[in-house]
Amino acid sequence: MPEWGGGRTTLEMIVQELQHPVRLDESFERRVMVRVRRLHAERRSRGWVAVASRITHRPGWAAALAASVVAVVTLGLIRTWPEGRGHAAVGTAPVQFVLVAPDAHSVAVVGDFNNWGLNDSALVATNHEGVWSVTAPVPAGVHRYAFLVNGKQFVADPSAPRSTDDDFGMPSSALVVEDSTR
Amino acid sequence: MESSDAELVSRVLHGEVNAYGALVSRYRDRYARYAVHMLGNREDAEEALQDAFTRAYRSLARCEDPERFGAWLFRILVNRCRTSGARRVRRGRTFVHDEAALMRASQEHPAEQTMWREEIERALGELNADQREAFLLKYVEDLGYDEMSEITGVGVSALKMRVMRACDRLRTLLREVHSA
Amino acid sequence: MNRPARALAALILVVGAVAPARGQDPRIDNRLDAPSRVAIKALLDSAAAQGIPVQPLMQKVYEGLAVGADGPRIVAAVRTLKVEMASVHRELGTVASADEIKAAASAVHAGVPAVELGKLKKQGGLRRSLTLPFTVLADIVSRGVPVEAGVNAIKSLVGAGAKDTDINNFQRNVSDDIQKGAPPAAAAETRAKAVPATKPDASKPEQQDQN
Repeated sequence: MPEWGGGRTTLEMIVQELQHPVRLDESFERRVMVRVRRLHAERRSRGWVAVASRITHRPGWAAALAASVVAVVTLGLIRTWPEGRGHAAVGTAPVQFVLVAPDAHSVAVVGDFNNWGLNDSALVATNHEGVWSVTAPVPAGVHRYAFLVNGKQFVADPSAPRSTDDDFGMPSSALVVEDSTR
Repeated sequence: MESSDAELVSRVLHGEVNAYGALVSRYRDRYARYAVHMLGNREDAEEALQDAFTRAYRSLARCEDPERFGAWLFRILVNRCRTSGARRVRRGRTFVHDEAALMRASQEHPAEQTMWREEIERALGELNADQREAFLLKYVEDLGYDEMSEITGVGVSALKMRVMRACDRLRTLLREVHSA
Repeated sequence: MNRPARALAALILVVGAVAPARGQDPRIDNRLDAPSRVAIKALLDSAAAQGIPVQPLMQKVYEGLAVGADGPRIVAAVRTLKVEMASVHRELGTVASADEIKAAASAVHAGVPAVELGKLKKQGGLRRSLTLPFTVLADIVSRGVPVEAGVNAIKSLVGAGAKDTDINNFQRNVSDDIQKGAPPAAAAETRAKAVPATKPDASKPEQQDQN
């Protein structure tokens, strides 16, 4: 019992009221776990991100490469190209995917745009001194995708917004391609 | 059988990230109450609680006694609430999370009860943060002074003084309301 | 092409799009157990009947197969996505594109209530696609920006007529700020203020909606 002397009844009533349980929205847990899984995924892919930061300290050619990577990064979420550029089909846009991963043996891109096909030769990246890239036509729309490194590890695109769909415990990224024909 | 905190912490540290969801489920409502009363509104409380859970995950390897994960998490939350800034008592909701829950609340707590609760929240808001924290930990969360001292880092004597002053102030404020 | 031929071509396209769901996709047939195939087919049929885009649900199946998830887990993921898409479909209405619904579902998954997305759509008007704003909202909320702060930031950007490139930059700046240690809410609120208004009466977005 509280030991506050006079006014006990009032304060007992206060405590009783304040002790009512507070129920949080059911989505609270999901929101926390989205963040937690993101942290988990970042820890797992930290090797690739660390490599990306190392390359910026090399002189000369690496600066040029870093600039080209930055050019992709500044495009960020949106890919939109003027008509007549590239040879993409109507309603698609050529998108360059870049991952800095000097220690990888193979890198491919998988996502909604190719129905997550693991053996899609059109989305296998080529390696230029540790910078893996591939340009492919992507249909207009919103897509989730990831890099597949060494045929087994899924890595989110460090330069892109993360996808929140974490149903399979795998990091992935979000991409919006605008329809330049409209 | 339900897994203990220590078992869940161990599973998380071994890479089973989804096991953390069970810990979130276990403690979210229990600690939401403290955060809501300390910060004065549900939105800030949810943000503080989310942040506390995230921080706890990030430093989970440093939890020295995983069997007492709950207490360790609570300490993080108390600190998070302290740094949350000025308390804002919002009169109306600007953001609806769950219409059904609001409907249930209005049925379980008719107008008079709601007014009483609002008066209490307003009075809590009149306390300074130290007094409010001490009062909530002691009488709402029902902690002992030693436990409170461990969580807050404040000596027992100082905590007792804060609790006493909080009680006096609340009593005065709420008597003034009812005698007006 | 004459009209009957066009109609037939359209029908073939539709059937072709949903054919994998009806047992003709070897990837699904070879990798998923029978009960899971049945469950997924039922979910797809139900979605189609409700007017919910089916393609994102199929993509979820393919994603699950790619990562080696088992049938029940894939079914659960498809069911969750369908529920999320159904909720935004109700709030956004028939004016929303399939991409908007897919992006909005992602925001719901991050914790944004569907009703708030519906309000954003009403504010944004019929002419503007909110696929990118919804995607950015999902991203910043998953980085720790409280739902209310995230919604308010996107609301102010859309209301001010911010271009997609501005919203893209906003996302990147908020992400960078948070990585540097900024409180997520402060990062979102600050960066949203920095985007210049482009609408003539951007200070009164309500009047725009009344036109």
